[in-house]
Amino acid sequence: METKELKGKETRLMKGNEAMAEAAIRAGMDAYFGYPITPQSEVLEYLTEEIPNRKGLVLQAESEVAAINMVYGAAGAGARVMTSSSSPGVSLMQEGISYIASAELPCLLVNVSRGGPGLGTIQPSQGDYFQAVKGGGHGDYHLIVLAPSSVQEMVDFVFEGFRLAEKYRNPAMILADGALGQMMEKVELPAEGSLPHIVPDWATTGMKNKRPQNVITSLHIQPEKMEDINLHLQKKYQDMESEIKFEQEDTDDAEVILVAFGLSSRICKKVAELAREKGIKAGTFRPITLYPFPSEAISRLAGPNRKFLVVEMNAGQMVEDVRLAVNGKSEVHFYGRMGGMIPMPDEILAKLESVL
Amino acid sequence: MLTEKFENQIGEVQLTAKDFQSSAEVKWCPGCGDFSILAQMQRISPQLGIKRENFVWVSGIGCSSRFPYYMETYGIHGIHGRGSAIASGVKIARPELSVWVVAGDGDLLSIGGNHFIHSCRRNIGLKILLFNNRIYGLTKGQYSPTSEQGKKTKSTPYGSVDYPFNPVRVALGAGCSFVARTIDRETKHMQEIMKRMAGHEGTSLLEIFQNCVIFNDGAYSSLTDKETKADNLLYLENDKPMVFGANRDKGIKLDGFTPRVVDLSKGEYSLDDLWVHQEKDDNPARAFILSTLDENPELPTPIGIFRIEEKPSYEQLVVEQIEHIRGDKKDFTLHDLIGQGNVWKVE
Repeated sequence: METKELKGKETRLMKGNEAMAEAAIRAGMDAYFGYPITPQSEVLEYLTEEIPNRKGLVLQAESEVAAINMVYGAAGAGARVMTSSSSPGVSLMQEGISYIASAELPCLLVNVSRGGPGLGTIQPSQGDYFQAVKGGGHGDYHLIVLAPSSVQEMVDFVFEGFRLAEKYRNPAMILADGALGQMMEKVELPAEGSLPHIVPDWATTGMKNKRPQNVITSLHIQPEKMEDINLHLQKKYQDMESEIKFEQEDTDDAEVILVAFGLSSRICKKVAELAREKGIKAGTFRPITLYPFPSEAISRLAGPNRKFLVVEMNAGQMVEDVRLAVNGKSEVHFYGRMGGMIPMPDEILAKLESVL
Repeated sequence: MLTEKFENQIGEVQLTAKDFQSSAEVKWCPGCGDFSILAQMQRISPQLGIKRENFVWVSGIGCSSRFPYYMETYGIHGIHGRGSAIASGVKIARPELSVWVVAGDGDLLSIGGNHFIHSCRRNIGLKILLFNNRIYGLTKGQYSPTSEQGKKTKSTPYGSVDYPFNPVRVALGAGCSFVARTIDRETKHMQEIMKRMAGHEGTSLLEIFQNCVIFNDGAYSSLTDKETKADNLLYLENDKPMVFGANRDKGIKLDGFTPRVVDLSKGEYSLDDLWVHQEKDDNPARAFILSTLDENPELPTPIGIFRIEEKPSYEQLVVEQIEHIRGDKKDFTLHDLIGQGNVWKVE
């Protein structure tokens, strides 16, 4: 088949889920495997509509378990590959993710998360923070986790996710939520083909240059060998710290810093504004990479004359990492809503006033 | 990937069986049926005209799943049960590769049953070798989904109560377009079927009755012992009447839906009365009937190709669809644009 004309830069009004799908095509994705689940099915739907006219391949798998295993296979064959789901589906994928991390294959995973546990709701939640950053599956491994707070960032992080995944031979995850997936915003789409992809020499694509036999595996039955693999992975996770990204505003004179990621961070910006109007010196801090976590940056901000209020749409997950970073140097408070509820600025402001 | 033209798989290579033997030490129990399967595969691989670098062997977990280490080709030793899903990913990303799946009965039909039937349903170009020893060997002897009812194992100390799967029938039911069976001891027979599989477009399944010497020894002895084999084994041959027996004096006659054994030695029945095997029979019903034979102690167990259905593979259909969609793209009118997608009329 002839290669279609590549699309140039473009500005469009798009839904988060569709914007990620469009970004994936523009980022040169070779294959996508997914299974329908609310609130992210638009990723699959958009791709099934677009891909035949563009580039790549899309397959609706029989389950999320199948989808992640197809990702495993395609990544092993050197393809730039992606899957997306929402919380219950991502739980089903955990086995495959652990194997992919151990076999050191790059891929992009998207979790447009919803309220849990269990089947829960289809409303937005940040209840999958632990699952995303602490492993989720078995064994000592980490994903690179990017937390967008706008539709624009969902697009940018598709590119960044593929880039980081391939740089470190490690799965990368975009941890979004149902609200980001469903909201429409103006986005600038990068030009198609702007992310180079060299088929790696370890992939099962052929050994034409007399390469040695290559079997992709996560099995190393000798404990000494397996420890070496683990040490190698741990070294890689350390190297990833150079990729840490965060955003901070009005923190210099702040007596209280609101720490939040993703959707909650947008709400916290409004809270800081309202607090300043009331004469409270409030600032905001937003981790963008949830793994690796910006611990050092938070540690630098911590001190006895400053308090932290962590706001999450869960029962308090990232707050644990903030406490570890602060290490007792400041008071750390928490405000959260669960089960698909989105906190309102006035309720967060009330909490903020109560801890000062 | 898909936009690249399918590479011609037939190259100018002269390889031998040895070229397909990796340097990895083969770790199966002495006497395991797996050795024979590996040897037959290595023997026929150079005859397929496929370059070594264009083979990918994918496995899940189990004794048989060590196979990719032993083939001097590419491979993925994947996740328990997920071999066919992983291999589907490989095949879609690289349709030009010859993608083979190795799985045991627990791997393919228990934990991986869902992936297996959906691979068959899609008719994706996977060549699946099912090493059926009717037991979990690697975990040391629990019953499997193909263990016969009443079987006593470590996890069924009073005998299993579940009904087993008949893999051939599962595959036929799932729409598998190439369904065959052989036995680890039938080396020539196995080679012939493997070669036929290699050339088949779409999903193919070869069930291999494989003896586990440690945990289920003798599971197929009536089909492999010299004294009993001829009377219990029926070789399926295309376009040929179904004849068996030490003196080739027994045949299978199909009365309506009922297969039965007839005696050819007494003059009452001749070859003309027998069921003639048609591997490309349009109607799958006869292949289904054939799959019931080994469950009836009065009837012999068929080996060979049960059914071949010639239909386009998943990857072919995808390529065709993409070409069709791209070819059909015309200028839209405003009316077309407003009316496309998720719209409906309220009347």
